[in-house]
Amino acid sequence: MNSPNINTEPSAFQHTRQAREAEQTLDQITDRFDDNPKAMDYFYGLFRRIYCRGEALQREGTLVGTTCIHAPEELIYAVGAQPLRLCNGSYHFDQAGGDFMPAKSCSLVKATLGVLSTENAIPGGGRPELVVNPTTCDQKKKASAMVEEMGYNVYDLELPPGKESEEARLYWQRSVRDFSVRLSKLTGKKLTRSRLKAAMAKTARAQLAFRTLHNLRKNSPALFLGKDAFLVTNAYFFDDIDRWTEAVEQLNEELRAREASGYQAAQRKAPRILFTGSPPIFPNLKLPLLIEEAGGVVVADETCSANRMLYDMSAVDEWRLHDMVDALADRHLKTCTCPIFTNNLDRRRRLLELAESFNADGVVYQAFAGCQVYEMEQRSVAKTLSDKSIPMLYVETDYSPDDMGQLSTRIEAFLESIKTRKRKRS
Amino acid sequence: MSYYAGIDIGSTAIKVALVDESGQLTGTHVTASGSLFHKNAKEALGRLLTEHQIAADEVRYLIATGYGRKLFKEADDSISEITANAIGAHEAGKQFGGVRTIINIGGQDSKAIQIDADGHVANFAMNDKCAAGTGRFLDVAARNLEIDLEELGDYHFNADSAPLTINSTCTVFAESEIIGLLANGHGKGAIVAGIHYSIAKRTVRLAKRVGIEDRIYFDGGPALNRGLVSAIEDELQRELVVPEHPQTTTAYGAAMLARSEYLSEREGDA
Amino acid sequence: MSKLRTTINNVDLKRFRFWLQIGFFALFVYGGYLAINLGNSLPTFSCAFNQDGRGGVCFLMPLQHLMGTRWSALFGWAGLGVLTAFLTFALWFIVLNKAWCGYACPLGTIQDWISSLRTRLGIRSGRYSKPQFRSLSTIKYVLLALTLLIPLGIGGGYLPHSLGTPFCDICPGRMILPLFTGDTSQLTIDFSSRTAMIMTALGMLITGLFFTGAFIKKRFFCFFCPMSALHYLFSKPALLNLRKEGDKCTRCGDCYRVCDMQIREIADDVETPRIMKDDCILCFKCVAACPEEGALKVTFLGRTVFEATEEGFNKRMNQGETCEQPEHQH
Repeated sequence: MNSPNINTEPSAFQHTRQAREAEQTLDQITDRFDDNPKAMDYFYGLFRRIYCRGEALQREGTLVGTTCIHAPEELIYAVGAQPLRLCNGSYHFDQAGGDFMPAKSCSLVKATLGVLSTENAIPGGGRPELVVNPTTCDQKKKASAMVEEMGYNVYDLELPPGKESEEARLYWQRSVRDFSVRLSKLTGKKLTRSRLKAAMAKTARAQLAFRTLHNLRKNSPALFLGKDAFLVTNAYFFDDIDRWTEAVEQLNEELRAREASGYQAAQRKAPRILFTGSPPIFPNLKLPLLIEEAGGVVVADETCSANRMLYDMSAVDEWRLHDMVDALADRHLKTCTCPIFTNNLDRRRRLLELAESFNADGVVYQAFAGCQVYEMEQRSVAKTLSDKSIPMLYVETDYSPDDMGQLSTRIEAFLESIKTRKRKRS
Repeated sequence: MSYYAGIDIGSTAIKVALVDESGQLTGTHVTASGSLFHKNAKEALGRLLTEHQIAADEVRYLIATGYGRKLFKEADDSISEITANAIGAHEAGKQFGGVRTIINIGGQDSKAIQIDADGHVANFAMNDKCAAGTGRFLDVAARNLEIDLEELGDYHFNADSAPLTINSTCTVFAESEIIGLLANGHGKGAIVAGIHYSIAKRTVRLAKRVGIEDRIYFDGGPALNRGLVSAIEDELQRELVVPEHPQTTTAYGAAMLARSEYLSEREGDA
Repeated sequence: MSKLRTTINNVDLKRFRFWLQIGFFALFVYGGYLAINLGNSLPTFSCAFNQDGRGGVCFLMPLQHLMGTRWSALFGWAGLGVLTAFLTFALWFIVLNKAWCGYACPLGTIQDWISSLRTRLGIRSGRYSKPQFRSLSTIKYVLLALTLLIPLGIGGGYLPHSLGTPFCDICPGRMILPLFTGDTSQLTIDFSSRTAMIMTALGMLITGLFFTGAFIKKRFFCFFCPMSALHYLFSKPALLNLRKEGDKCTRCGDCYRVCDMQIREIADDVETPRIMKDDCILCFKCVAACPEEGALKVTFLGRTVFEATEEGFNKRMNQGETCEQPEHQH
């Protein structure tokens, strides 16, 4: 295991803007909080190595980049390739990506284009041999052609615009089956039942570790802070899955020990926040960090960089290749609460369920400026929550740090109002 | 005697308020933030104490608020300006029969806050990260028109024609729009009124987001501008409650909170 | 107690069900050899034509006989007999509800065996499209109506007596189940009258369809089964039940995918707590495939006996699989 602050020879990489940005966030994560779990050192070290020092990813096999959680990674593993989630959270690349996109577009898409336009899609990662772009929101859809122009092999994984109808489900199942054929061609390895089964067991183990961590966050007072939780799930984007799983299992063990010893990571009355909306992706952990620096604690989330990516698991009835592939397809469509779909009843129900089971005092809704679908869903989500008297703070922001002052005021005021509300109730 | 202080370190001005044991306002002081705001803040507090011949150790509790709240380590505690504003307006609003909605226009932001009958924040909204519709906007406009901030109200009421429409919501673009209007021979009064209505429209939209309930309290530096007050009242179709010193409501709220924090802490000790 | 509960919730439902089905199969197909006789009102296909082996008689047969009673008698004293028979049937039924289909029915069990043969051969199961599903699922009600109305017509003197047990004539159970005790006598076409000839020929055809259908589609026959329709009419007061807590459901569709009967509502309906639909066979595969704590549960007299848990899900879906040596990836 790497200690977080090993001093090695400074490389040229360390002086790049992206490295400094990463370093700043990491320092904030590690230094501004006491008593970070020991097992987090693995993740702190991992991010420092990859993002601050640009070291190699240490993953063997063909790299397949994905731009969204919809691409079933089990299929990628099964043909002997390695998935790499390309969604980027760097302000530096957000600005670089500004060349490709109109001014009022989503930071995430801009940053992803920005990073793909450079040599390394992930520091130390090299160029993926295939970029899988599920046709989700308009911005990602249209980004596809630009990624192709940058010289990548792009595969548009066609996603239906709704997920309610049986037709949509069958359409998507066909899409996924075609995708698996393309993957086999890429590596020259046939997709077989046993290979897929092994790949599914691999992700299932990772998911189980995630779920355990997720459930440990139900504890009150909190055992674990959201800023670390987001870092853990962000590591899943690029880390070797087995190493990742082991590190999370270790973290879970430490948290269980913390639980047994009555440890608390936040004050007993710290407002418990459920995070939703546009995904916090390293190094843009601005909002979760602001919440926790202001004395709140993010206990759960409903975002595609954490919960939505890892929570839902597939069930298979007949363990044959066709049934397994269909099961994977279903899991990557039916469970998704992304606002790109026609209605968002599932998302609203999911938020209520999470708020209830995690005993959340309030919800913080992040929408990246320019992400129209999240901006549009704000109203209905706000209404659903206010009907259940759950306060919600809607924050429209992007990757730039210049609204930090204003955001911290809003977040503090929100937490203060939660506290008075709680005091009034008791 | 015991006193409690609130200090509101904003982007353009530092406001200090002092209350006594009974919660009565002893005095306030306003000074420009400048670049050395930490030093300026300390000086502002010192000046207020000297003015009222109060020794520093008579101030039992100090709460900082505003953008610079975290950096003012001399304070016992800090609180967001939204909560402080709510408390201040709630207390100050009692003499007007109680207020439920607060509109605050500051140097770099504008807020709308809805409070419940006890003065607790029920809902709030803030402008996006942009100076449109804030005090800054007025600053820039006054500079372009070559008039003083204090004169804006007079120009508003002495306009030679109906208020002009300022279309740009962005401060930078509005600047060139104003210059254009001047070049076309429009009177300064009509331009000023136009600016006021433009800010008023944005502010009312913000207030509608949190829900408007009577009475509506308007504070922050720009509330001194009678022209702006009248424009907002026009847009709202309701009257506003404007306190005598609209700049210091937030500092006053922080001071009142300092007092109750101190009293409850002492109660806890006893 | 909580330990017992965990053990139950972690159960390998597939295996449990497999053995229970064999038990019921033995009871209804061979029970007669052990002098077991559970009466004439069983809510499942314990076929009367399996004369030596049957452990009781399927209610559809006496029901058709009773309905065929002369009207004057039927609407008089004999009506009481019909009522008693119905009551006995209902009493049997409400204990297990439609789990009679999912666990007890020998024809259902045979279909499951055929399905598992298909899986072993690596052939995928067929599925109905939504419109197909909608129209097919009404057939069982038509069959039930005919099963009752034709005998009634005989009793009224409108139809020939040779149509006395119209459903038994075409029921694949009549031909298949006696085979298990070595009785092939039903596997013929009866030339004694035109009606008998047509009906038994139809029966042969349906038996053929039964085998091919079950090979293509899981629980093929159950979509058309009039017994299933009759069950549903009595399912309200049943003791054993399937319940759903919609709030906990993420609509991941895991339950829908494993459902042999393709019941979409199990995944999509988050409003109805009593989620059992008319086609449901209460096999509880959906509960076993649900990863959300308590989202789906089996209740008996209102008490939860088996429910979805994350742990149980993982035991059933993953653990068995990791035992297999994963292939080396590179």
